[in-house]
Amino acid sequence: MKGSKANGSRWIKSAAFAALSLFSTGSWAGMYNDGKVFLTGGVFTVDGAGGGGAVPWATITGYESRDGINGGVGFTYVSLPNYTLNFFGGSVGFYDRFELSYVNTKLTTNLSNVDTVGLITTAVGLADNLGLEAHGSNLGLHTYGAKLRLFGDAVYTSDSFIPQTAVGVLYKKNTNREFVQTLRGADYKDWEAYLAFTKVFFRYSTLVNITARYTNANQIGLTGFGVCEGPAVAGNCNVDDDKEVRLEASVAYLLQKNFAIGAEYQQHGNNVNGQNLDLSGGLGGLSSVVSGLITAVPGLSNSLTQKESDWYDFFFAYAPNKNYSITLAYLWLGNIAVADDQHGFYLSLHATF
Amino acid sequence: MKLFTKKLFAGAALSIAAMSSAPSFAGENPTSPIMGIPASSLEEFGGREGVRAWVESLFYYIMLDNRIAPIFREFGNPERQIFLNTQLETMVLGGPNEYQGASMSAAHADLGITMTQFNAVVEAAYNACERNVIKYHTCNQLINALAPFTADIVTR
Repeated sequence: MKGSKANGSRWIKSAAFAALSLFSTGSWAGMYNDGKVFLTGGVFTVDGAGGGGAVPWATITGYESRDGINGGVGFTYVSLPNYTLNFFGGSVGFYDRFELSYVNTKLTTNLSNVDTVGLITTAVGLADNLGLEAHGSNLGLHTYGAKLRLFGDAVYTSDSFIPQTAVGVLYKKNTNREFVQTLRGADYKDWEAYLAFTKVFFRYSTLVNITARYTNANQIGLTGFGVCEGPAVAGNCNVDDDKEVRLEASVAYLLQKNFAIGAEYQQHGNNVNGQNLDLSGGLGGLSSVVSGLITAVPGLSNSLTQKESDWYDFFFAYAPNKNYSITLAYLWLGNIAVADDQHGFYLSLHATF
Repeated sequence: MKLFTKKLFAGAALSIAAMSSAPSFAGENPTSPIMGIPASSLEEFGGREGVRAWVESLFYYIMLDNRIAPIFREFGNPERQIFLNTQLETMVLGGPNEYQGASMSAAHADLGITMTQFNAVVEAAYNACERNVIKYHTCNQLINALAPFTADIVTR
């Protein structure tokens, strides 16, 4: 956790330096551009890439046309019954061709079952090995992204079915390696790649996006990548971190030029389905006293079985002008780790230059 | 005398028919968006008069936009632009092809129009729709029908 703080401040310093150097160079004035049509850069996704809420699109972030550079910063708040998430990051689009993005994600848990384990292990000084805290354990994720538009024009080629097509890569690094291990993630850092296809159908005032993502992430990487299978409270496990192709889709209907309603779907994997938390803490097994205590709490052991579901959401995106957009969504995220029915609200602000 | 008059009228009618069915001055053809546009689009725009009013609003917003006004001031005769644009837009919305101007590529070849400038005209187009109380969905049919000209117009 200390390491993540250091990374965070380093990022802020480098971003501030980058921003300063951008504003202080005279050539910036010539490169700056906001010539894109409303909402066609997408909004701020949880991965930082330009797109919908969770699904990266083939469109390049920011309001620049092919004549210049634009970008923005985004903040997203998600409130679920047992989790709270904050996303803060920024993205820059270059010549409507290439984009770079970064997001810092914080996930706070409010899980009575995990808190009980945290409390017991804190009492015996083992909580750090599990990445747990007695009251609300945390996970964090740094997501670095790059996207290249390959061909096609999502907006203006209304006489062709060829969509705008882009390829993107994301590098994600979790900040709580121990908690990821407890959640049976095989890796706490990994990369993903995606191919996105986006097209606006003016005939129906509708944008359609389909994305294929090559990944092994559990809950977009918030709970790690792949799985380390084995009996709980053991220490050794079988790693399966093979990547697979998962499908994602967004449909947005434009009610007016700067207001869209839509829905999204994101296929998730089942790496950790049916897996109990690994409470070995990398020590080859907790002491018999601790495992005895955990077993002694009625229903606790049974409640520590994980599941993962596909994500769905329904959103409203409003861009009053080219300097900011507001996205409100209702999320159906299903089972997340050891908690069921994680449905809740999503609020995202994207400020663009 | 009677016969001559009849022949004269017949000849005149024939040449008018010939002109309207295959106008030799047509410099541009209707576009063909993949999913088409609703048959009622021209009517929802208020017919030819509605299109004319929309084009006037379009030029009002264009001339207010510093990014593009200089181009139109230098190269375009606004009166003639409004006249030709009314013909063009009426055509792409499903009306008769009476367009008397040059093709989109010929008309814009030497102007070096950028995507930013093109998008600025699109923004003016939406503003004109709002000003003329044309529904957003109807406005999109015009954008749908004009979008295939993008590559002809944007040359930089």
